[in-house]
Amino acid sequence: MTKPILISIAVSVLLIGGAFWLATSSSGGSTGVATMENGVQVIDIAAKGGYSPRVITAKAGVPSVIRVETSGTFDCSASLVIPKLSYQKSLQPSGTEEISISSEQAQGTMQGLCSMGMYNFQIRFQ
Amino acid sequence: MHCNACILMTESELTDVPYVTNAKSSLTTHSVEVTGMFGDKTPEAIAEELTKVLQPRGYALSVEKIQKNAEWGDFVYALPIALVFIVGFAMLQKAGLANLITSSNVSYGTAFIIGLIASVSSCLAIVGGLVLSLSASSAKEGGTWRTQTLFHVGRLGGFFILGGAIGLIGSSFQVGLTVNVVLGIVVGLVMFILGVNLLDVFHFTKRLQLSTPSWLSRRVVRGSRHDHYFAPLLVGIGTFVLPCGFTQSMQLYALNTGSFMHGAIVMFVFALGTFPVLALLSFGSLNIAHKPWKGIFFKTAGIIVIALALFNLANALATAGIISPLFSI
Repeated sequence: MTKPILISIAVSVLLIGGAFWLATSSSGGSTGVATMENGVQVIDIAAKGGYSPRVITAKAGVPSVIRVETSGTFDCSASLVIPKLSYQKSLQPSGTEEISISSEQAQGTMQGLCSMGMYNFQIRFQ
Repeated sequence: MHCNACILMTESELTDVPYVTNAKSSLTTHSVEVTGMFGDKTPEAIAEELTKVLQPRGYALSVEKIQKNAEWGDFVYALPIALVFIVGFAMLQKAGLANLITSSNVSYGTAFIIGLIASVSSCLAIVGGLVLSLSASSAKEGGTWRTQTLFHVGRLGGFFILGGAIGLIGSSFQVGLTVNVVLGIVVGLVMFILGVNLLDVFHFTKRLQLSTPSWLSRRVVRGSRHDHYFAPLLVGIGTFVLPCGFTQSMQLYALNTGSFMHGAIVMFVFALGTFPVLALLSFGSLNIAHKPWKGIFFKTAGIIVIALALFNLANALATAGIISPLFSI
């Protein structure tokens, strides 16, 4: 009885450790910086099987536009939610969606997720 | 009973009873097998009579074991197996399955492939988790293949009819953010309760389940017993509005088709693509429910369902903006 218990504990520890390693190894993700176009700050995000870049830095207090591009996106990332803006929309499988942010809203950290919550991105207004 | 001398003692005491011809005690199972001429007495009455014989020695007999054995030993196998599945699921998400879809046009073939991918993707956490928890619970309660079949008929039929409906009216069934979050939380909680029930170690959730005004757990899980046709069908149809990203984008596509037949077929083919994995989950658990190692299966399923329930709950709360996202794939 003790032998299976020991093996069971060893396997469990190994799996939990592996899962943590897996979760932390790519949590850094890709980063990006917002660009200026005709006096408007543009934050470009590609949505397919997740969001890219995952962390974007932008200037605070500037009227901005989040430009989300989909190309053959049928997964959850097409169903975009930005809680701070009370924004929810199912994006077209292929196309570009522009979400405007007023200068008052462009403060702090803005979180964007897919409607099921497993994909997310972050805009840091600094 | 905890000594070998007790075995001999109980056996000799019992065989001294005139109508008992043989008694065999076991230390490991804490039971005694009694044979003899009992006439038309019920097993309970016999146990009561024999208890009187053994009472001076400090023993009591009952027909069934009073203390239900939780069989903790099953966890030795159930925990690593469940963890393998959970880690496998996480790795599948990391693998970027969504990138396998390269076409931006939806043909019926693509809809089927999207369905196949959806059934092993994040949708598995919510739809598959719900199917596993309901079918394993139903199998545990003695459900038949009929309950499972009705669920799948409801799902396929519901996707066809509702897909056609949104194609025709062109106004989406798409639920609002609040409804989405509430649905996610409700499904997460139902899954959590069913998962804990599957573990069969805590008995408070059994009471919780009965007192919850949840038509879902009460009717679907126990539905088979009363030959309930309606509830599994309804849950199958209800999966149309479950928060699953793939389903939502297919609905958006069906919406834009502007025709009943086109929308209906696209949604039906998509549901058909998800069918193999979901059928494996539901009919698989029904099959295993009659195997000798079913205890391990139910505990494994319980752990997986609880993990998926927590995943869904955390995601629903993150979507509501209440907590920051815990999982990032």
